[in-house]
Amino acid sequence: MKQAIRALATAILILWVLLIAFAITAVYSVMNLDIDFGETQFFPSNEDIVLSLPFFINNRGYYDISELNVTTRVTDYNGTLLALSETFVPLIASGSNVETVHNISIDLNDLFMEYTEILFNDGSFELDAFIALNFAHAIPVQMSINMTIPWGAPFSNLSIGEISVDPFYNLTHSEVVIPVSFENHSFFDIVGTMQLEVYNDMDELVTSEQRSLNVSSYGEYDEPVEMYLSTGDLSKLTESGKLHLVFESPMFTVEQWIPYG
Amino acid sequence: MVKESSEKSLIRKMIPNVFKAAVWGIFTYVIVSYLPTLLFPIDFLPFGYNQLFDLFVGIAVFFAVITNLFSGTIFGYAFSIARGLVMIIYFIVAFNGGIIRLTMPMQEFTVNLVVDVKAFLTILVLVNLLGIGKSLLQVTNFLAKKVEANQLN
Repeated sequence: MKQAIRALATAILILWVLLIAFAITAVYSVMNLDIDFGETQFFPSNEDIVLSLPFFINNRGYYDISELNVTTRVTDYNGTLLALSETFVPLIASGSNVETVHNISIDLNDLFMEYTEILFNDGSFELDAFIALNFAHAIPVQMSINMTIPWGAPFSNLSIGEISVDPFYNLTHSEVVIPVSFENHSFFDIVGTMQLEVYNDMDELVTSEQRSLNVSSYGEYDEPVEMYLSTGDLSKLTESGKLHLVFESPMFTVEQWIPYG
Repeated sequence: MVKESSEKSLIRKMIPNVFKAAVWGIFTYVIVSYLPTLLFPIDFLPFGYNQLFDLFVGIAVFFAVITNLFSGTIFGYAFSIARGLVMIIYFIVAFNGGIIRLTMPMQEFTVNLVVDVKAFLTILVLVNLLGIGKSLLQVTNFLAKKVEANQLN
């Protein structure tokens, strides 16, 4: 009996020493974990915008970090999924470091086709980040972060000013001037064209004009658009009607109807 | 006269136990409270875990004192078994059944952290169960010796 008790006491002592040593070194390792996030960057490509989140992990602890999985979900204010991205790091061994980038790619063409209003109105997106890892191959850790990302509309406060008409621009033509203004609240420059069409109250096309656009990020566009029509067609221009604006860029094509008069 | 001498012998028996209990109480306090706070700052523990840590120190010191005070008696073993059971309950409560959930506000957003310490908790419970097993063997040995001594007398 005495030997059994002594053996049990020794086993318990060894187990306690191991457990306490593990607990102390685990806490020490977590304290010495160096996690750093780089500057978040947006890269507009042809049809996508890429939100790039660089991060750096220096594991100065005693234990490996394995199966690091970073998953992000971007949803609009209705909860509709816009983008789902995943980054997987199989192993960050003890004493080593990892520098990687988590990219969230959003197809702008699809996005703007489905949600035209985000081109004209500022808003926000919801970003859910989910981080899972295995500490010391024994302790699974999960972390979730919810963030709201503000969205600046590229054609914010789109408006037209008072339409002025010069019936005798020259012998054959009359001039119609429509001031168009908007603010580019987005993080990308708008480079493309703007087509402006004037429709009368009978939905007849009166005149149209195309302008090239180059509005820098957080810049403003406020210019009068001069349009010409033959003097004979001036009677087609009614007191009220609709303006059809078509914005085209490599990233998107979008149209907007604005009533006048 | 007989009563007085038995009281004296009880006090004589108790003095080493009281001394041992005091030494073990201080030693346990140093090991479970003083040294860890020297190694890691106490504010390292998240939120309500400070109180749980104090409770752990209280339980450890209390049972270190009481088991040593009654060592050599059946109560010493009973308290040893009770310590094992209390520790098992404490660890299950402190580790929230093996899943620790924390919500930490960080600047503009909130971080939800879930740590799965089921494997660690299982080992802690098993070590305490081994301790209870050891105490049961010790109490059996103690009673067997007592019966043996009675039979010989």
